[in-house]
Amino acid sequence: MFAYISRRLAVSLLILLTVSFAVYIIFAFLPFDPAALTCGKNCNDPGIIEANRHRLGYDLPFFTQYFLFLKGLFFGRSFGEGAALINCPAPSLGYSFQQHACVTNLIGEALPVTFSLAIGAIVMWLALGIGLGILAARFRGRIVDQLSTIFVLIGTSLPTFLTGLLLMVFVVIRWHLIPFPSGNYTPFLENPFEWAQILFLPWLTLAFAYAALYTRFVRSSVIDTSNEDYIRTARAKGLSEGVILGKHTLRSALAPIATMAGLDFAGLLGGAILTESVFNLPGLGRLAISSVVKYDLPIIVATTLLAAFIVVVMNLIVDILYAYIDPRVRVA
Amino acid sequence: MARVKKSTSIAIVAVLALAVVAGGLVKMSSGGSSKGGTITYLTHSEAWTHADPNRNYTGQHIAWFGSYMHRTLTAYARAEGSAGSAVVADLATDTGRASNGNKTWEFTLRDGSTFEDGSAVTCEDVKYGVSRTFATDVITDGPTYAIGMLDIPSAKDGSSVYKGPYTTKDNDTAAYDKAVSCSADNKTITFNLKRPVGDFNYTTTYLSFSPVPKALDKGDAYDMAPVSTGPYKIEKYKAKDEMVLVRNDKWSKKSDPIRNAYPDRIVVRFGLAEEVRDQLVLNDSEKNSMSLDAVLPTNLPTVFDDAGKPNSKFATRALNVYDPYVTYSAVNVKKVPCLDIRKAIYYARDFAGLMQLSGGAAFGGDPADGVIKPLMGLDYAKVTGLEEFKPAGNAEAAKKYMDAAKTACPDVYAKATDPKRGIYFDFADTDTNKKAAAIWIDSMKKNAGITMKFNYIEAGSYYAVVLDQTKQGDLSRAGWAPDWANASTVIPELFTETGGFPMSQNWGDPAYKAFKAKSDAALAEPDRKKQGKMWAELNQYAMDQMWVIPGVFSKTQEVWGSGLGGVFFWEPQGAPSYGDIYIK
Amino acid sequence: MTLLKVENLSVDFPTPDGLVAAVHEASFEINAGETLAIVGESGSGKTVTNLALMGLIPARTANISGSAKFESHNGSIDLLSMDRNELRKYRGKDIAMIFQDPMSSLHPFYTIGDQIIEAHQVHNKVDLKVSKARAIELLELVGIQGAATRIKAFPHQFSGGMRQRVMIAMALVNNPSLLIADEPTTALDVTVQAQIIKLLGDLQKEFKMAMILITHDMGVVAGAADRVNVMYAGRIVESANVRDLYSNPLMPYTQGLLASVPRMDRPHTNRLSAIPGQPPSMIALPTGCSFNPRCIRKSEVSGSRCETLMPDLTPRGNGHLARCFIGEGA
Repeated sequence: MFAYISRRLAVSLLILLTVSFAVYIIFAFLPFDPAALTCGKNCNDPGIIEANRHRLGYDLPFFTQYFLFLKGLFFGRSFGEGAALINCPAPSLGYSFQQHACVTNLIGEALPVTFSLAIGAIVMWLALGIGLGILAARFRGRIVDQLSTIFVLIGTSLPTFLTGLLLMVFVVIRWHLIPFPSGNYTPFLENPFEWAQILFLPWLTLAFAYAALYTRFVRSSVIDTSNEDYIRTARAKGLSEGVILGKHTLRSALAPIATMAGLDFAGLLGGAILTESVFNLPGLGRLAISSVVKYDLPIIVATTLLAAFIVVVMNLIVDILYAYIDPRVRVA
Repeated sequence: MARVKKSTSIAIVAVLALAVVAGGLVKMSSGGSSKGGTITYLTHSEAWTHADPNRNYTGQHIAWFGSYMHRTLTAYARAEGSAGSAVVADLATDTGRASNGNKTWEFTLRDGSTFEDGSAVTCEDVKYGVSRTFATDVITDGPTYAIGMLDIPSAKDGSSVYKGPYTTKDNDTAAYDKAVSCSADNKTITFNLKRPVGDFNYTTTYLSFSPVPKALDKGDAYDMAPVSTGPYKIEKYKAKDEMVLVRNDKWSKKSDPIRNAYPDRIVVRFGLAEEVRDQLVLNDSEKNSMSLDAVLPTNLPTVFDDAGKPNSKFATRALNVYDPYVTYSAVNVKKVPCLDIRKAIYYARDFAGLMQLSGGAAFGGDPADGVIKPLMGLDYAKVTGLEEFKPAGNAEAAKKYMDAAKTACPDVYAKATDPKRGIYFDFADTDTNKKAAAIWIDSMKKNAGITMKFNYIEAGSYYAVVLDQTKQGDLSRAGWAPDWANASTVIPELFTETGGFPMSQNWGDPAYKAFKAKSDAALAEPDRKKQGKMWAELNQYAMDQMWVIPGVFSKTQEVWGSGLGGVFFWEPQGAPSYGDIYIK
Repeated sequence: MTLLKVENLSVDFPTPDGLVAAVHEASFEINAGETLAIVGESGSGKTVTNLALMGLIPARTANISGSAKFESHNGSIDLLSMDRNELRKYRGKDIAMIFQDPMSSLHPFYTIGDQIIEAHQVHNKVDLKVSKARAIELLELVGIQGAATRIKAFPHQFSGGMRQRVMIAMALVNNPSLLIADEPTTALDVTVQAQIIKLLGDLQKEFKMAMILITHDMGVVAGAADRVNVMYAGRIVESANVRDLYSNPLMPYTQGLLASVPRMDRPHTNRLSAIPGQPPSMIALPTGCSFNPRCIRKSEVSGSRCETLMPDLTPRGNGHLARCFIGEGA
């Protein structure tokens, strides 16, 4: 198991390095000038563009820029001089002139928001999706199953943007069931109650969409597993239906859910753009999309890399978890 | 000095335009105003474009920050209607003293004005603030009047020899010290200008003339933590989250008679989804809140009736008023050197169809007859010679001018009517603009037989492209608002070769020489009344030449919660007078 | 002593295309310690018969009728009329079952020890250690070397034959009086097949249990069974003790089955005899004798009785029963 994990770790590091290089290449050869995007309307003066190009290091050769970027990750980086000196300590991902902040700080602020959003949502949708999926499989063809089919249909067809907006407009604005939050986000450690209150509807919005998918998936997975020979064996042993479902069927039926949930979680950590927009959560998705709209290059590079990093790490976690669940994988 | 999208002030009534009105003379719009509570502003933006006073440029931002945090030498009177266009003293004891034929201006600071840490605002602080505007690589986006007006030589490449406080190499600091100087008691600031500027005290209403304490300056990062001189200071400012202003206990009404300080707290909620922002206000869910953004066009019918009047539910909490903008289609005279063709385009256009795209005349505005809005009062006179205008297009008039063009300028006529060549129009690449393009193509073909084609340019780089004189097409969409209540910030900017927004490329036109001479004369004219008449004549002149196809005198809509009182439209800033809003 | 007496067992599956009579009025009995082989092609009803007895056919999917008297540790019970939840207490204890495919019949995520211990625990309120010792004992008995350590291994770490031994150990852990072995060797290599059959025979003697051996392989039957039921299209078509059946098969189908087995004691023929045609569709059974379309001897029967009438299962002396018009009146 140790050898397996260390081998996977080494491969993951290599992937990240490759991704960072690829991202750098892509943005280096995009047809716009990052320096020209740092000075707003003053950019009609070429001298200013050149000054900012120098300040940000965009005048250096490509490989030097990439090296400085990597170096900044470990040793920090500073830009400019004198009273206008900007210092971004390690791990530095650069400085955004448009947001007047070190990119690492921006990500440091956005990541906990997105993480809170993702973690609550995944707990909700796993509980809802797995629960409903099992019920639907167990009572196949009956009223519970039919209701779950309706739920799946609505959940998978309503876009999260609309679900979120409807929840916001009706639950908060029209009916005042939940007060309009006094801030866009409150950290968990600061006030757990407010944290949950602000995030409840966003969780519900995401959980609604994902739970529908998971219900469908769990239902068919449980039904498929119920037809396995080893479930017949379990029944032949004289085990009760409860033990058969809980211990034998679900263990196999839910194993692929772990992979699915891990990757969906990674996807959400990369930023749930629509949900974050509707509920004005200052998360990674919003950071990424606004930087793309504004061509804020340092943030684009950083968020792309972070998304890659999250996917690679989650893949690693999922693989290790799966090896724990399914003994057959450990040997391979 | 280019003004691109949004702008600021607008001059209104002639009588007050140059008059120096002391702060106390202007009647305050008071009434049931009361103190206390929290006013919440809602916006889709993730943060202020800028909070650094020296980088604020748009009227709304100046109105907001000028009301709550940033003081400058002079300000517009906080009054409804035309009275608001009067300049009053702010940090200065009066509205400035000109000498040396309007080339030297002196302002003396009031006693008792302080920063939020209690230290007194000195001449050096104002001087330092102004110096920052020269550092155009760091202090971006702000107005650059100081660079254009102060008596500082230019380097070979045309840029100022003074590069602001952050540059040490090749920086002529002495030249700046000569242009801006402080008295021995550090209370009086003197500006030496390159040329006479009779209304320099309008220029100083810009927050680019606000003081900044050198010790607390952080360059670019000052934008997130500016130091207050006004009645409120920042308690919290986080992009994508909120800004919270609390009372500045070092501020005193005694040294700042023009500002009110009604609420206890002011909160700005950033990053709201547009629909959520509108719904919060429209449903009056947050009674003490106001939207900082335009209402979504789809929500306008909820608030206003077809005529643009607020519905009964919104009678006391919505405004539909003229903003400072005039939109137009600039003609590249170099490429379309034919007055008859330009007139044919004007008459052939389906104006009503285009207006329908922006919600109809009730919300979009009225047909413009030039580049000066009637709100400019003194500088506006109705333009004549456009009597054949018909909202849906006048095919008869268009054909008449096309026939004239056939003989007057056969080359341009051939190009315009050739289905393979045609007239090229620069448009920002947006969905609404594509719909507008269809209306243009259709009406030009039908009413004048002109082939119209479109260059779609990515919206973010639109002005950068069309202001490049080699890249500009035959026509370009544009909009402009005056920087302050004087058409000196309109006519020369738009129609002279040295202006900040010269999209008509009209200096090759035989009519240009006389125009330029008159424009220069108007700039130098000390009598404001005479000057206003000259601007109106120049506006007429430009329309006679059809250097632009006039578009719309545009309108803007404001909506707020039922808990707020005292809201009025502050005409010179083209925004509500935020400082006068209170909680009922 | 009669351990199990099945009377008129019928299993019908309702399907969208009509009722499928998977088993039709099967009656047979088995004595303690005896081996009954049930022989037939796929779909003949042999597996369904036993799943019905074990109560492993989901209640809502089939109509089951008839009776099955079984002498359990708790007295006489009827396997077919008993409440399913009640039946659970006998399943795995009095009646155990092993299946065709040992590859898929063990849960891949649990160690074989866990799975055997679980089978013991469910019917015995004893300490886990006792169950573990019992598991190791059984594993040794079925011939797994180093059972004490192999108990921690997962199914995928065993070969097919070894896995079937594990299945057998698991089935025997509670000393059942009846073992149902459903094609226990079909999925295995030929050499391993013989070992497993021998093991089953040895264990049967040791545990003194009765066994129902379900198979389509007449070769396996000869060495292992006391009595044979031949099934075709859901019906028992011939039933006899193994010696009678081999020496004197009465039903042309049985004759065909026996002829297809290569035998050392018969003169060498160039090719194996096979039964022509395919087993019938269970939804559209032929009228008359279900076997008639494939029967090479139906010309011996006068008229068209084979095509129109279903022959009864009639005694032919010495406990030999057959369902055929041929030799019926003799």
